[in-house]
Amino acid sequence: MIKVPPYLQKGDTIGLVCPAGLMPVERVSECIRVINEDWGFTTKVGTTVGRQYHYFSGTDEERLEDFQHMLDDDNVKAILCARGGYGISRIIDKIDFTRFKENPKWIIGFSDVTVLHSHIYRNYNISTLHAPMANAFNEDGFKNEYVQSLRHALEGKKIKYQVKQHEFNRKGEGIGELIGGNLALLAHLVGSDSDLKTKGRIFFIEDVGEYLYNIDRMLYQLKRSGKLDKLAGLIVGGFTDMKDTERPFGQTVHEIIRDAVEEYDYPVCFDFPVSHEKENYALKIGVGYKLKVGKNKVTLEE
Amino acid sequence: MERKSFIQSSVAALTASYLPALPKFEDSEDETLFVSPPALKTGDIIGITSPAGYIITQEIQSAVKKIESWGYKIKIGDTIDKRDFTFGGTDEERAKDLQQMLDDPKIKAIMCARGGYGAVRIVDKLNWEKFRAKPKWIIGFSDVTVFHSHLNRNFGIASIHSKMCNSFPDDWSTAEPVQIETIESIQLALSGVKMKYNVIPNSQNKPGIADGVLIGGNLKTLETLAGTKSDINTAGKILFVEDTGEYMYSVDRMFWNLKRTGKLSQLKGLIVGGFKIKVDEDADDFGRTLQDVVLEKIKAYRYPVCFDFPVGHQKNNYALKCGVKHRLNTSATEVTLKEI
Repeated sequence: MIKVPPYLQKGDTIGLVCPAGLMPVERVSECIRVINEDWGFTTKVGTTVGRQYHYFSGTDEERLEDFQHMLDDDNVKAILCARGGYGISRIIDKIDFTRFKENPKWIIGFSDVTVLHSHIYRNYNISTLHAPMANAFNEDGFKNEYVQSLRHALEGKKIKYQVKQHEFNRKGEGIGELIGGNLALLAHLVGSDSDLKTKGRIFFIEDVGEYLYNIDRMLYQLKRSGKLDKLAGLIVGGFTDMKDTERPFGQTVHEIIRDAVEEYDYPVCFDFPVSHEKENYALKIGVGYKLKVGKNKVTLEE
Repeated sequence: MERKSFIQSSVAALTASYLPALPKFEDSEDETLFVSPPALKTGDIIGITSPAGYIITQEIQSAVKKIESWGYKIKIGDTIDKRDFTFGGTDEERAKDLQQMLDDPKIKAIMCARGGYGAVRIVDKLNWEKFRAKPKWIIGFSDVTVFHSHLNRNFGIASIHSKMCNSFPDDWSTAEPVQIETIESIQLALSGVKMKYNVIPNSQNKPGIADGVLIGGNLKTLETLAGTKSDINTAGKILFVEDTGEYMYSVDRMFWNLKRTGKLSQLKGLIVGGFKIKVDEDADDFGRTLQDVVLEKIKAYRYPVCFDFPVGHQKNNYALKCGVKHRLNTSATEVTLKEI
């Protein structure tokens, strides 16, 4: 049975860290302001926010220490990764989850944070939050329903997402624990200690800036490693800024995904608002959801 | 039993009944179970097929002429000149062409005309029974890593990692000596000569001597085979990797993949070939060199490591026999790899 960390109460503390790429302080300040002033929580800003070591928000040791500190601090009730980038794969095996296992708290983020979601679900069966990060709060983004969905998720409100129909959708109903994240990261984790078990689950994927042939190759990997055949449902999020080779692949990303799961019969929905763009609903990893793909609409509810 | 798997297994049983029983090869770490296809003799036929990207006849002419000058005959497959967008024909067409060459007893070796992308889309459509009963050399690199890895993991049959038809120069008179030498190395490998390579030492090599079966190929392709039935077993082996067009962060992530899927801990030796790193002009410097990225992953291990081995998407890309036992010897003054 999945362990769900306690939902947040007014005044609870959210820790902000950068476990991967660097993030300037000014890009995080709006997020901090909104959490403190509008949402009624308090924030604890980690040492990696605004720090830089080349490409990263600090050395491996600095990023690890900051994350570990937030993980072990009983006053911190949730950890919001301020941004993704690349870097969690470098520290994941050094994180000590002992105290976290006893005292689960919400870990929030997407993209590179998929490594944490996948690792924690696989090894500790604790729910995490796939949701917008600090940058999504900027330029009035905090007002949109996607950033608001993060607030609602943290407050423990059960939300029902309703999205538009897509011509490639496959009708049906599926119930199962929700898992997934960034396709490139999920593929990268296959065969490792952080690898996902997908059988009987509702699986969601999204990606950005990949070559079409590489999307195809990653889907073949998931398929050939037995991750696509026994799903309760598949949610295809945004696949944005796709790139093609000089010799065109000949299929759109939607067609590639549709064909990859053609032989199965679970429900499939396309263009669900989980992506690297603004459209990115908060999703609780490991929590049971019902996916209903109908003729005119698609719903996903806890 | 599901309908699909039932049909597949009855087809396999039917095919098997016409062939002598094959010895079992279960992902073995036993070196003695690895077999090499027979060496080629003058007059033997080499098939040319394109299991991945599309290629036209004109682009393989130079290779055809050169291979014929080695005394072999050529059979050009149906996929040459076929095109389905980026592919050398549809999945069915590419699988059929390769299948015919695998099954045709007159064909003694199969050279993939080029890489690109597509081998993984057909590998599970192929029936390997006749090939297993009468192994032949499969030749190529890059996307062809799928086949090297699949053969290595499932059958223990050796194959040749080397340049393909699209790397043979049109004008030999202007070709660099290393280009000619690396192409000639394919013929050496096919003729049964025991291979030996001398490599210029890199100051960051880790010294030592290792004996083991050589396996490897394109790193990205190896990563995307992880967890599948074509995934390599590296225990007790000498692993070589190369890649091109990847960002440094991606190369780093791929080496973490090797480490986190247990592929670096039980190696006998590691060979790092050419890595053409893509520069991301918008991003900050990654802060680590290729050597840093590799060495930090294997700090705890004592096996020999060699950098700048002449294998990869580059002119100095020598033919290497995957699935054949080699000795890697790295020292400050000399690096050699030889077939033993």
